[in-house]
Amino acid sequence: MAAEEGGCLLVVIVDTNPVWWGENCMQTESGVDENQLHKCLDSIMVFCNSHLMLNSENKLAVLASHTDQSKFLYPKAESATAAAPPSVEPREDVISMATGEESNDSMFSRTNGPGSCGEGKQTSSDGRHELLAQLDDSLIDQLKEMILNDSSQDNILRAETMLAGALALALCYIHRMMKEHTKQGLKSRILVIKAGEDSASQYLPFMNAVFTAQKLNVPIDACLLGKDSGLLQQGSDITGGIYLQIPNPMGLLQYLLWVFLPDADTREKLVLPPRVQVDYRAACFCHRNLIDIGYVCSVCLSIFCHFSPICSTCQTTFKIMGRPGKAKKRKLLPK
Amino acid sequence: MAASSESVLLYISNVRCKKVEGTLYIFETRMAWQQSSKDIFSISHNYADIKMQKISPEGKSKVQLQIVLHDGGSTTFHFNNPEGEQAQRKDRNEVKELLIQLLPRFKLKVNKELEEKNRKLQEDPELFKLYMDLVVSQVLTADEFWANIANKPDTGGGGAPQSVGVSGAFLADVKPQSDGVNAITYNLTTDIIESIFKTYPAVKKKHLENVPHKLSESEFWTRFFQSHYFHRDRLTAGNKDLFSECAKSDDQDLLAEAWKVSENPLVDIANFYDDPEDEGYGGAAVDKTSTTHQVNQNMIRRFNHHSTMVLKTADDSAGNKSTPSVSNGNTTLPAAAISEASNGSFADDSSCSSWVVEPPANKRSKLIEKLEYDDLEGEETRRTARLNLVKRDRYYHGPMTLQRAEYRSNDEIIASLQAFTDAIAAWQPALPEVLPSSIAVGVMGELSPGGVLMQGGTTDALLNQMVSQPIQKDMKAIYISLCELLRHFYACFPVTSKALEEKVVKMKGTLDRFHMVKMRPFQESVMRQHYTVNLTGHLDEMLQAAYKKYEAWEAKKTGGGRPR
Repeated sequence: MAAEEGGCLLVVIVDTNPVWWGENCMQTESGVDENQLHKCLDSIMVFCNSHLMLNSENKLAVLASHTDQSKFLYPKAESATAAAPPSVEPREDVISMATGEESNDSMFSRTNGPGSCGEGKQTSSDGRHELLAQLDDSLIDQLKEMILNDSSQDNILRAETMLAGALALALCYIHRMMKEHTKQGLKSRILVIKAGEDSASQYLPFMNAVFTAQKLNVPIDACLLGKDSGLLQQGSDITGGIYLQIPNPMGLLQYLLWVFLPDADTREKLVLPPRVQVDYRAACFCHRNLIDIGYVCSVCLSIFCHFSPICSTCQTTFKIMGRPGKAKKRKLLPK
Repeated sequence: MAASSESVLLYISNVRCKKVEGTLYIFETRMAWQQSSKDIFSISHNYADIKMQKISPEGKSKVQLQIVLHDGGSTTFHFNNPEGEQAQRKDRNEVKELLIQLLPRFKLKVNKELEEKNRKLQEDPELFKLYMDLVVSQVLTADEFWANIANKPDTGGGGAPQSVGVSGAFLADVKPQSDGVNAITYNLTTDIIESIFKTYPAVKKKHLENVPHKLSESEFWTRFFQSHYFHRDRLTAGNKDLFSECAKSDDQDLLAEAWKVSENPLVDIANFYDDPEDEGYGGAAVDKTSTTHQVNQNMIRRFNHHSTMVLKTADDSAGNKSTPSVSNGNTTLPAAAISEASNGSFADDSSCSSWVVEPPANKRSKLIEKLEYDDLEGEETRRTARLNLVKRDRYYHGPMTLQRAEYRSNDEIIASLQAFTDAIAAWQPALPEVLPSSIAVGVMGELSPGGVLMQGGTTDALLNQMVSQPIQKDMKAIYISLCELLRHFYACFPVTSKALEEKVVKMKGTLDRFHMVKMRPFQESVMRQHYTVNLTGHLDEMLQAAYKKYEAWEAKKTGGGRPR
């Protein structure tokens, strides 16, 4: 792999949708040691280690995307642990990262690392590289803290992952890191490891995040453990990332290392899974059906699958000349 | 050589070319040079090929003449008459004068067009390829090609050429050279002549009237410089002068200008008067009728006129593009003895008696124009329609609700939450055994070419390697050519006129020819390579569609009597 001067910033977004994972755990209850969740989390940890090992300049951030919050698992927000843990505003999280991140730099952690993330664990006693040990410990601690503290207050039950929030956080972090490392020319990318289903209500925020990523030149890779996601297909296609729905989650690490570890320059030289055909069709506003050809309101740009003389979104009355088909022109919908 | 049949207009011996002695011949249609020891022309230029001639400066020891060709090449002739420099120069001038007369005849418009086409082809490699494909292979004639294909909106050309303005000092820049005795030589270039014409339309009119019927080109200019019109103190007494009328019209122009300015109420032009401070220390009354004063005033008036005319050319050149095209090359006027008349005289002011005065501009509107600024105006309030959105949340929803079929009860969710929490609590990373080798091998199989995840879309990637480069290139060229032809074919529809009808039939013929001459051989060569994919399928489809369209049109035409 070509050692870039500035290294590569990889932001991994892990979908920790408790409902999906819980169901998954219950299905595979039979063999306890074959727990997919454990396997996948382990795989992600190994993958993160590999990324850091690849180049000493490489940088990493890991985000957990939960049903009601998004949280940095690594680098650890120091102030966040001191403050009230569960309901940290995402905004604050990023700002506090500004102070907390520096101490996680490899140089600094050599002196300060064991103290800051030790909590009675055998951090450096087993001979692991301190940076990697710190990463692993941070991941475990933060994840457990988030899940175990959070599950107590579940008034609202949601089965959908708040992916858009996590993406926005990741982009903010990338933006800051790019500004801090302008000289080295830091290259960034986002990897989304997604388990649950798309959240229809997040469509607009998600698309905004995707276009921001496209503007920042940040590819969004997507690794799907569960069902196909139309949103992520579009997202990775727009930003030039790789979309892969993996058939066997037990071999997650192999997929990650094979497909998602190489950076953008290296990928050009590899034979990787071909691009999927992305369905860019729009959904009509009335029935949420995907349509090829439909009617578009000329005033508010609402999309309908059937003609109606009054636009139900903006109450505009259309003048009908002769047949309705002529009054409103059929248009192909690019989306 | 065919030289015998041509009439020799002039021949000059003792002309060297590339340091070899020889003879220069000037024929009706070409000029040629023969080495003295041989009897063939080693150099021959058609006048049509010659772009311009250049001569060596006066002071140089060698008397030379350079012929510059359109293709950029050039030939230099060195006049080496043993009788001395004077004779050499005479030889050279003879050739030059003759060429000045001959060259313009061959400077045809065709030449310019050819040059332009050549430039287009050189600048646009794709167009060049198209030209090679369509014209060289006789699918289209060259005229058709240029009429149809190359006449796309010319974005690169930059539109109309920008005309060069006139320098205020162009007359002063004509530095007359005195040969010491009584003659002054003016070197006029095309630019200067053009400048004179632009600045003094009256002179141009005279030129059109008199040249070449009454006067020769050089005679005209000699008279021009001799005439008092050109000189700073105009003597209008001599009515025989060719340019006396011009002087009169100039005065009228001047007056018209003055009127124009005086219409503006904000400018008090009467307030200006020429009051030299140095005389009488500003206080003493100056004799305003003194002759010198009048001469000065006349002079200033003259300068003002000149500046006005120069400024006007800038206005004119925007609208009026008919600048005279005079043969290029130097026009050296024969020496003209010019006597300087330096006695002061007055311009004839009385010629301006009848003036149609334009209605004076409204003073009020002028004042408003000066006092009010558009960009300081308050913004116009415009009535806008309000957008009344009822169900705004519709925009926020994505298209994926279709997939959502699963419904979970609260109990199920709580159960799965519990299971998840338990699983996380029980999680102890066991990184060394995260990936059993059997699974790794399985995944590797999926990701290797031909594996489950590598299906679909492979043709795109492999086609590039499968098909050889020359074929790809040919394919591209043929594709572009065919698309261009089809574009013109479809541009004929709907067929509304006789001309379009003819064009449709012609384009159909062209398509047929293209099919036979270009596509068939290519298809055959592709066949020989035994590719698994059908490379030319789409080309065929496009052609068939066009044929079908044509047949439908033809059937309609013959069946329905007349086309719609």
